[in-house]
This record gives sequence, C-alpha cells and structure tokens, in this order.
Amino acid sequence: MEGNYGEDEEFGFARNYFIAKELGGSGKKSSRKLSDIELVDEQELRAAARSIESKHEKEIASLLNSYKSLYPKWVFELRCGFGLLMYGFGSKKALIEDFASTALTECAVVVINGYLQSINIKQAVTAIAEALWDQLKTRRTPSGDFPKVQQPFNSRSMDDLLAFMDGSHSEKNDCFVCVVIHNIDGPGLRDSDTQQYLARVAACSHIRMVASIDHVNAPLLWDKKMVHTQFNWCWYHVATFVPYKAEGIFHPLILAHGGTAQSAKTAAIVLQSLTPNAQSVFKVLAEHQLAHPDEEGMPVNNLYSICRERFLVSSQITLNSHLTEFKDHELIKTRRHSDGQDCLYIPLATEALEKLLQDISQ
Amino acid sequence: MATPDHAENDLQPFFVLHKALVQKSVRKSSGSRKIRRRIELSPISAKNAEKMEIGTGEEWDDHHYEHLRMEAFNFVWSKIESTIKDVLRNINLNVFNEIHRWVCESFDAIKSCGTTLTKATHSYPIVTDATFRQLFTGLVFTKNMEFVDDLMTFEELGLHLKSHGCHVANLSSIDFSANNGIGGCLRSLLRQFLMVTLDAADISILASWYSDQGNYNKPVVVIIDDMERCCGSVLSDFILMLSEWAVKVPVILIMGVATTLDAPRNILPSNVLQHLHVSKFLLGSPSERMDAIVEAVLVRLCSGFCVGYKVAAFMRNYFLRQDGTLTSFIRALKWFQIACVVHFSSEPLSFMLKALFVEENSQGFWSEEHALFPEEMLKYAFDLPSCRRNNTEERTGENLAHDLSELKRLQKCWSTIVLCLYEAGKYNKIQLLDLFCEAVVPCLGNSTASNHHLGSGISSSSDHSIHHQYLISEKCSFICQAIRKVRDLPVVLLYQLLKSWEKLTEDVIEIHDKVKELQSLLKFENGKSLKQDLTNIPKRHTSRSHLNMDKDSKVLNEKAARLMETMVRDYMQPVECIPFHEIVCFKNVDKLQSALMGDPRRRIQLDLLEFQKILLCSCCSNSSKAILPSMHNTSILYTLAQEHGDLINLHDWYQSFKSTVFQPSTKGKHKLKQSPAKKRKDTNESQNQSEASIQVRFCRAVTELQITGLLRMPSKRRPDYVQRVAFGL
Repeated sequence: MEGNYGEDEEFGFARNYFIAKELGGSGKKSSRKLSDIELVDEQELRAAARSIESKHEKEIASLLNSYKSLYPKWVFELRCGFGLLMYGFGSKKALIEDFASTALTECAVVVINGYLQSINIKQAVTAIAEALWDQLKTRRTPSGDFPKVQQPFNSRSMDDLLAFMDGSHSEKNDCFVCVVIHNIDGPGLRDSDTQQYLARVAACSHIRMVASIDHVNAPLLWDKKMVHTQFNWCWYHVATFVPYKAEGIFHPLILAHGGTAQSAKTAAIVLQSLTPNAQSVFKVLAEHQLAHPDEEGMPVNNLYSICRERFLVSSQITLNSHLTEFKDHELIKTRRHSDGQDCLYIPLATEALEKLLQDISQ
Repeated sequence: MATPDHAENDLQPFFVLHKALVQKSVRKSSGSRKIRRRIELSPISAKNAEKMEIGTGEEWDDHHYEHLRMEAFNFVWSKIESTIKDVLRNINLNVFNEIHRWVCESFDAIKSCGTTLTKATHSYPIVTDATFRQLFTGLVFTKNMEFVDDLMTFEELGLHLKSHGCHVANLSSIDFSANNGIGGCLRSLLRQFLMVTLDAADISILASWYSDQGNYNKPVVVIIDDMERCCGSVLSDFILMLSEWAVKVPVILIMGVATTLDAPRNILPSNVLQHLHVSKFLLGSPSERMDAIVEAVLVRLCSGFCVGYKVAAFMRNYFLRQDGTLTSFIRALKWFQIACVVHFSSEPLSFMLKALFVEENSQGFWSEEHALFPEEMLKYAFDLPSCRRNNTEERTGENLAHDLSELKRLQKCWSTIVLCLYEAGKYNKIQLLDLFCEAVVPCLGNSTASNHHLGSGISSSSDHSIHHQYLISEKCSFICQAIRKVRDLPVVLLYQLLKSWEKLTEDVIEIHDKVKELQSLLKFENGKSLKQDLTNIPKRHTSRSHLNMDKDSKVLNEKAARLMETMVRDYMQPVECIPFHEIVCFKNVDKLQSALMGDPRRRIQLDLLEFQKILLCSCCSNSSKAILPSMHNTSILYTLAQEHGDLINLHDWYQSFKSTVFQPSTKGKHKLKQSPAKKRKDTNESQNQSEASIQVRFCRAVTELQITGLLRMPSKRRPDYVQRVAFGL
C-alpha cells in the first residue's frame, strides 16, 4: 500500500467504472420489474423485521469485547486533545455509548443522534454548554469565586456559547464535556453550516468529541482546516457488524414502498373510509381512465356532468369538496390537457387501478 | 449493552448520557492536586515524594504510571509545540516587523491627511476628496495554496501587532459568507473590538467606540486570512463600507493571498479596487518553514523524542505525494502530535523519557532513581529487542541508567553530524527533510567498525532490502551528494562551511578538535592568499600561484570530505541501532498511518467483502469465494452486487439473494435436524413466513448499504434499479 499507491489505484478506479458501465449498457439489461416479486405486504414485513434472526451473535459479541481493550487508549487520546472518529461497517452506537458510560465517567457525556432527519444544532450546543456549566460548578472549590451566569444559556447566541465552552474556567485543562455524535455524516448534520458549527464546538478547550461515520464519502464533508485544526481526528477502524437498527429506523423498506400493489392498497384503505358517494365519484373517474388509457385525463367539466347525471353530486361545490379530499390523499392529480384544459387523472398503473376497483366494490 | 431506556433515547435528537460522577471527580481533583504539588516542589523533594508513593504502592501501579505517562506527554508535546511556534515566529519575524512599520506609516499618513479626526467626531463626515476614502491595504502573499498552514501565521501576526499597540481583529472567510452577508463580518468585528454581541450590528457603533474611548490614537487593523475564499460581493460591500467611514474609523486592512497579484482583481470589481491603497508583503516559502521545523524538532531533538526510519519515510512520502514542495506543516505538527500520543500510550517505558531528557545531569538523576524501578519494568526494558543481544549484562537499574545516558550521547552525535551534512548540502540545495530521512535508516555504515550494535536494528533481511531500495530510488544518496559537494567547494565557501561546523560541533569534542585542526590547516596553508581570496578573486596575479593554491585547496577539500565521511561512518549512529531506543523512538508506521488517515471508502467495502477476517467465525471461513448462506446478509448482498453493472435490477438482485440464502447445502442440514412430519405440516405457513423473512432481510441489507453510501436508491425515472456508487476498492 505504501509504494504503488498512487497511479495504479487511480487507473483502477476509472477502469472499474467503465467496466461496470459497459456491463450495464451492452449486456442485455434485465427489464424485470420489482412488482414481479410476490411481495409480502408491509405489515407482515414489519412484523418479520422485528423477529429477524441475527447471524454471528457470538462472534460479534467477542469482537465488541475485543475493542474494550482499546478504551484506555481512547481515553488517553481524548485527554491529549484529540477527537475520535470511528468508522467501519456496522452500527457503532452501542459500542461508543458503552465506551462513554464505562470509561468516561469522570466527565459529562452528551449524545447527538445524527442519523435523525432534523436536529436543531443550537439546542444541542445549548445542552452541551449547560452540561459543562453543571460540571464546572461541582468541580469548583467553595472558595473559588465563580461568575454567575448572567443570561440563561438558551437565550445566548451561538458565538457566546462557543466562547463559554472555549474559555479558561479551570486552571488545569482536565475539565471537559464529551460530545458523542452518532453519524456525524447523518442526514440531520450533513449541511455545511452545521458541520462548521460542529467543528467549532470540537475546537473548544472544554470539549472532546467522539463521532462515528458510516458513509464511505463522509470525509468530503470537511476541509483541511476542520480536519487538522478543529476536529483533530484520530481515526479508528472499528467494524462491528451490529445491525443498523436505530440508524435505519426512518429508511423506508425498499420492497414495501413504491410498488404498485402497495399504493393501490393504501388507496383502497383511504377510499373505504369515504362516503359511498365519494367512492362513486372516484369510480367514475377510474372507469373513464380505464376506458381511455391513452388520454391525458378527464376534464373536470365532464366529470361534473356525469356525476350530476348519476345523482352523485348536486353542485360543483360538493364535487370540489370530494376532489379536494382525493387530492389531499394523493388519489388523483391534475395536469394540463394539450388544449389547455385542466384534467384529472389517477396516478396508478392500469392493473393497479383494476385491482383497486375490485377491492372497493367488494 | 443497550438498556431499555436507550430505545427512547434513540429518537431524541440529543440527550445527556450521564453527568460527571461527583465521587470520581473528587478523587480526580485530589489527584491533580497531587500533581500540582509535585510540580511546585523542588525537583529533589518531588523525587522523594514519588519514591514514597512507589514505595507504598509496592507493586507496578498502573494508575500511577498512567499519570506519569500523561505528564510525560504534556511535557514533550508542550516542548515540541512551543519549539515549533518559536521557529515559525522567528521565520516570520522580519515580515511581521515590516508589516508593523507599514501599519505605523499608514496610520501617520492617515493622521496627517486629516486634522480631520477631531472634527470628524462631531458629525457624519462628508468627504469629497477621494484620497480620504482610500483604505491602506496590505496584501500578504503566502506562496502556499494550503491555507491551513497560514492560519497560525495570521494569528501570530495579529498578536504581534496587538503587542505593539494596535487594535486588531482577525476575520476569516467564514465571516464573509453569502449567507450572513455584511452583518456577519460586522458582528465579528464588534465582538472582537468591543467584546459585545449585538444582533443589529452597525458600523456606527464601531465608530463611536473608536472616537469615545480614547482609542483613536491607535491604528485599527483588520486581518482577513484567506481573501480568495471570501464571498466576493460581501467583501466588496465591506470594503466600500469601510472606505465610506474611513475618516471616522481609519481601518488598515491586511489580507492573505495564496495565489498571485491578480487575486484581488479577480474577486473585486474595479469600483472597489480603486478604494484600496495596496502594499505587498512576502512570507517565507513552505519548504523553508518545513526545513526549519525538521531541524528544530527532529534533528536537534528538542524533546528527546525521535522517529524511526520507516516513519520518517512515510512522512516524507506523504508530503511529496500530497502537495509536492508545498508542504503543510500543520500536518507535520499533527504527525508529531499523534506520534507522541500513540507512542506514549503504547510504550510503558516512555514516561522515562521525560526524566531522561529534562534533567541536565541525567547521570546523577539516574543513579538516584534507578533503584526505584520495579522489577517488572526492568525486565521489560531488558527484554526490548534492541537489548536482547546483551544477555550477559546484568539486569540492574544502574546498567539501564548507563545505557540510557549513552543513548542520549550517541543521539547528540548523530544530530550534530546531520546538521553538519545539512550545512554542506545547503550549497547543493539539498533539503533537510531528505537528508534526515536518509540519516535515520539503520544500516548506514554497515561496513564500518561501529556496527557492533547493528544486529539489533536490522535483524531481518526484509528491512535490509527496503533500505536498499530506498537508496537506489534516490539515485545517489543525499549524504553522498553532500559529501561530494564538500569536495567541489571553492575555498571561500569551504572556509565558511568549516566555520559553521566548528560552531555545530562544539559539544562533541572529538569532532570539534578535528574540525579545528582542519581550520588551522586552511588558515596556515592559505594564510596569505585566503585574505586575498576573500576580498578580490580576479586580482590574483600569476597563474602559477593560482594553480598552486588551487591544488592546495583541493587537498583541503579532500580532507574535509574525508572528515565528513569519517564522521558519518563513526559517529552518525541512527537511533534504531542503539540499545533501548524503543523508549524514545517511535517506529510503528502502520499505527501512525491508520490513526492519521482513515480510509472509509476502502475499509468499509473490505469489511463487507472480507468480513470473515474480522469476525473470525468458523462457519464462513471457507477459503473458496463461494457465497454461503451463513454469511452476513449485507455481505451477501454486496458481494452479489459486484456482479452487476452500474445499475442493479432489484428483481434480479433479490432473486439471487433469495437463492443464495436458500442454498441447498445448509437447507439439507436443517432438514436433518427437524422431523419430516412436523416439517410438512407447517410448510405452507413457514414458506410464507420465510418469504417474509427473506424479503425483510433483503430490505434491511439494502438499507444498510444505503447508510454506508454504497448504493443510490431507485429514482422516479428508474423505479426498478438501484445504482452502484463505488467501483473497486
């Protein structure tokens, strides 16, 4: 890895890419659809997810155990002012929290779950500052005069909070709060402003950071200033092979969403909760769409006149209220007809629509 | 590991895992007090205190040594850090002084322009004269694209100017982002000058601060460290604003420029440029700074801490591979830092380093202290590979102490000679880093008499071949080049060289004497002509005496080169050839590399493709490449993905996953275990169930691959395909 790392490797990348491209392009591209699989329905899938058997439990446990011998070293490095960055396949959440709760008992530990979709970084930093404040209060000898907080932390600006955490509050630099960030590359923290704030937090004298990354391109989030002077990472490859339970909680199951069967099913559930008249209006639209599969949709006027004929609605207003309901549940959509008219259509494939009609007419 | 309440915490954006334990913190604070006391005390009584502690502790007390190690780290690192800072400050000092002079001149110019200052304090200045609205601007050229390197330089510049009585604010490109607009940089300015944070930042506040507080007889300097990375429009607004207020707050701008003189013109429009009154300053080049750091930290051994040859070579490669001659010494700084940490946390003996190199009179210290070494530690020390050859030696603290001070002496010789070589190499533009890397290779001078230590350093043949390669790859070694240069030097330069050698070798008497001898020879032989030579070379009259002198000096050159060769051969013992070097020398290049640069892209893929190597399970460690159903689901899926092109058809992928998981071999095994009758009864149900479980395993594995970023999810356009992201490791 030392010597011939440079050029060969780079050409390797390029070559692999084009080989892969070729494989996809020239070879007969499989055009089979996901819907060809006999998909189990989502609830069953979720139920199965709960009882999924894990493989290699014993080996994983002993692997995690083997990392315990590194704990003292990690603590030492944290004390020396480094940040720890854990990477490798498998959820590192349990490992890091175990490390924090067994080896870092002498300082407060604040955990940020970066894998969640939205995180208010300001609130998180406030919590960190409060933890530091608590810790400083208890550490202080009674004789020492400690400035009172003039302002509650949650009304202070980010700059003030950072200045507080970076200040020199104790003569020896041994009082720090440890910030654990699971998935510092996660969706909630991925934007560059947040990363800048995190870098500045990491650079504070009273803060030590332990973070994990899972994305292969995570290092691209940081520039050299952040890496070398602020985060000051020490990398650790700690593959755990523990399933990403918490991290994957908001990821949709790929076989459960998007499939036509699935959307027809949800549509049926919605429709069954509506009044019979509303269902009939939807049926009119569906039948029209099945009869004219090539048309762009059904003009609202046409729909109105047919519904009126069948005594489904009495006025444009009642029709509109039905349509609004459909739209809210994404049962129908509008698009502009080529002659400029707005028309309605159901965003389902023909087979799915047929199945849906069967379902609701039962 | 996970407790039930964790499940709830999993969904919190953040939470406090635990607070600092009070009990422990008490114990800890008492511990730190102990250390403080120890520091306050005079060295001798501190030693006694330590002695007592060890005495009562009876045995190898981990906690105690942990403390010592931490102290040793702090000691070494603070020394290295301050050395580096000093070196850099000295390099930049001239430029800093120059800048300060310019600031003062500019300020005088501003003051003389306006008797205006007092007048201006009363009302908003309406200035029509364009010269009033010029901003004095210093462009500092860093000659370095790596702006990280210069962050510290500008910080230092700020401190330097502050200490000379200027008001200084340091801004960076983050303050000039388009998001924050001009408010961002103003807020930052007010923060730094007035120490307040205001939501409604306004420059009039700054102006009143400047005129009110009696601040107005000092110049106001604003330093922007990386001008090229600033958002152009915000920066030009900022400059326009400053120039409008130039009379009330005469700000002097200093901007760091990494590229060329064009940079301001590329970023700023011309109506802004005309407000700048530009002066230029040049910083030292990165390679100059690098050499200075290498000299101070690695060759002069400011901390007593050194690195092995593999580490040195790795560092050098990293420099060259990363950015050619544009070296970034922040990186270097971090290397040493990491090297120290890694070393101290893995080498139980390295805390002795401190004692070894602080104490001036190390001999005395050791004779007093050696009795205190616990048996285990002595055993450990004498079992070090570099020392095992000396089985005959008695394993006493005295011997250890003696060997350690010998180690110190030899290192001193080594560093002296490297510096002498560097002096010679300077005439050939040889960089110290190159020389250094060569000088630490352990089997130099293999054929000489001094190689009785060598067995320890390079026992394996692989080491030898690495070294061999190393030399070949350098065409001719830098040391040879330096010595050859000595042969070719003209007399004047030779004279200077000897002079510098004389100074360098002061501490090593044997060499010093020889240098002196050579010097006197030079003076003697060229007694008269040298002076002539120094003043005016072309005036030498007869060609014959010229020839003679040439010959004489050639002899001298030869002698100097010989001396150099002997020095290299006899005194330059690389640290890895000296017993007990493990205590002070960091050699583990792999550790350094892995701590320094993670390689998630490669490693995560390897984790998936070769997980057996990490999990060490018995079921999957089949040497063949077959995919076994017992493998980790995500591993199976990713291995299967390797057979696809850049797009993976989900259906096909799922089918191959399913068939892999249902491989007949293991299914057979399972069947054997269960009774066939029972099996048949719930086949239908179990089939359905297993279908669900396979699908959910597939989903999970896809999600996990998505989390690692190795897959891109189906798009609206291609609902049945996922996209591969990584090709090859």
